[in-house]
Amino acid sequence: MPTKILSVDDSRTIRLIVGKAFRPYDVQIVEAANGEEGLAAAVREKPDMIILDVTMPVMDGVTMLTKLKENPELKAIPVIMLTAESGRDNVLQIAKIGVRDYLVKPFKEDQLIEKTARIVSLQKKPAA
Amino acid sequence: MSQTVQITDVCGFMTRHLADVFDTMLSMKAVHVPNAELPAFGERVSGSAGFGGESVTGAVYLHLSAPFAKQVASAMLGLPPEELSGESEVNDVVGEAANMLTGGLKSWLCDAGAPCAVSTPAIIRGTSFAIEPMPDVKREWLVFDCGHDRFVVEVHLKFN
Repeated sequence: MPTKILSVDDSRTIRLIVGKAFRPYDVQIVEAANGEEGLAAAVREKPDMIILDVTMPVMDGVTMLTKLKENPELKAIPVIMLTAESGRDNVLQIAKIGVRDYLVKPFKEDQLIEKTARIVSLQKKPAA
Repeated sequence: MSQTVQITDVCGFMTRHLADVFDTMLSMKAVHVPNAELPAFGERVSGSAGFGGESVTGAVYLHLSAPFAKQVASAMLGLPPEELSGESEVNDVVGEAANMLTGGLKSWLCDAGAPCAVSTPAIIRGTSFAIEPMPDVKREWLVFDCGHDRFVVEVHLKFN
């Protein structure tokens, strides 16, 4: 069974980059465009991990993460925050809520894979 | 708050940060061209994001020619230009690049003692438009070369 990763970002560009990064791996990517859609997708899909943007319309990543941690069925899902803001205050705020790791934009796809592999199992797809 | 951050510092940071964004996300080398004339674009794609806090407000604009914007989108998404799904995909990439530039600046300003928040990015595409800053806003243009293409980062900054 493939590892299921939920990618929550209002930017289609970032969702495409995340999808591209995991293409060589046996990973199923589920996408959501904001925190509200992300929460619904987390309930529905029970992903193995969530990659979550911070700044989004409708519901931002910090609010989604807070709600995730309040839900007994979802709170154990590991989260990597993806943020364009590397400032101390921002990092401290998201660290307090409980993320497994974070990645600052701009980022290399290799960094995303490396951080993900520390949290969930990543199996390379067999060569075609 | 006393004004501890100068626009020259902001431009210095932005010059380094833009080169980092282009190198990391696009594997492209962008070189700052000091005192260069602003390029004359035909169709232009401009991505922008604003920032605001108690002591500082402003915006960052990334101005690219339409053909170069397509090249940037192709590089960021790892797709040949002909496989891009259209203007909306290019617009989204330019908006994300503007978001990364502004997010980096926001972090730098916060660490420099001027906390602020960032808006979601916006895109303007066209052949004839001008961006005018509000009164008392300092504006700087930074011109970059990337291969044979020239593009501009425009920074607006106001200390309250």
